[in-house]
Amino acid sequence: MENTYDIVIVGAGPAGMTAAIYAIRANMKVLMLDRLSPGGQMVNTNEVENYTGAGKLSGAELAIKMFEHTQELGVEFDYKTVIDISNGGPLKTITCEEDDTVYKARAVILATGTVPRRLGVPGEDQWAASGISWCAICDGAQYRDKEVVVIGGGNSAVEESIYLAGICTKLTIVTMFDLTADPKACDLLRKMPNVTIYPYQEVLEFTGTDRLTGVRFKSTKEDATVRYVTCDGVFEYIGFQASSQAFAKLGIIDRTGCIQADSHMRTSVPGIFGAGDITVKHLRQIVTACSDGAVAANSAANYVESIK
Amino acid sequence: MITEITEKEYGALDHAAPKLIEFYSKTCGPCKMLSFVLKDINKHKPDFPIYIIDFDENRELKEQLGVKGFPTMLFFKDGKEISRLEGLKQKPAIIKAIDALL
Repeated sequence: MENTYDIVIVGAGPAGMTAAIYAIRANMKVLMLDRLSPGGQMVNTNEVENYTGAGKLSGAELAIKMFEHTQELGVEFDYKTVIDISNGGPLKTITCEEDDTVYKARAVILATGTVPRRLGVPGEDQWAASGISWCAICDGAQYRDKEVVVIGGGNSAVEESIYLAGICTKLTIVTMFDLTADPKACDLLRKMPNVTIYPYQEVLEFTGTDRLTGVRFKSTKEDATVRYVTCDGVFEYIGFQASSQAFAKLGIIDRTGCIQADSHMRTSVPGIFGAGDITVKHLRQIVTACSDGAVAANSAANYVESIK
Repeated sequence: MITEITEKEYGALDHAAPKLIEFYSKTCGPCKMLSFVLKDINKHKPDFPIYIIDFDENRELKEQLGVKGFPTMLFFKDGKEISRLEGLKQKPAIIKAIDALL
């Protein structure tokens, strides 16, 4: 059957692309699917400085290198949104949103990663995409010489704040805790003259009439001081949530929405593997996603050989 | 067909014809990934004209067309903007916007 594969990989971020490379080199018939484009979250990363051997480069440049690597090896790729995976014994059935195409696979590697988490406060839905953004390198240019607020204090918030502070007149960081990013990046941000940091704050609302004009937030310390900062734009970086809804019925998702996988990246369902940010793990980095992808592909290939 | 143009060349286009104009930036990751999607669409619709314009080098035109960020895709027919998509979008959404012009 034309649409039957040894391994279908759902998601083409670093975990999925690495899994594809390892799987095709194990002589598997491989299909990699992604709903948007290759790269995953790393496409939105301005600079990557901690991927071994790559030096300093943008997330998109690294994504392109990885994707080209998969294409040089002959990995079949398509733009599809997987909405269901049925565990019908030795062959899994993969259904996509876009058309009636149904794929069959002996093994499936789930590597759909995460999507940005949202605050859920008043004004957020109203100004989403027209004042509030989740991608500084996409939308930062329109705030050149303007004032912006960044919500969050982790690695993404700090790295993108460094980029934004270089083009904006004033940058205010509002974060639930203190800065928790790499100490080197935090030090660099704290030294920037146009940056003000408000740690231990809870965002109350985004305000505006015909456009976003400011953010109201409250201290989580005893004083509970409420502050209001005017701004032209807001960038939210408050973490991510697993993109796993389509796989809920497989019974492999924990209460946080992540896939539970063992050290071989096996889930509790034979033939279904997880890799990358979608899995339960401590450190979500490009390099750890790649590691997961390699392990998952090796395990999936061994599984396919065992049932053939 | 995918063709890179400048704002000067934009003026000389056949404005009545359906077309997709994409504003991109060399520094923008999602723009680079969108280029893969557009190339894939071009394989399936080789006769549909897709023009790409550097956001940073063509400031007058982006002001004129109200383009604020990148990537931004504008879908034109009969000289009018029919729809626009901002950010990296799924291939079916782009194809749907193209099909609405044809």
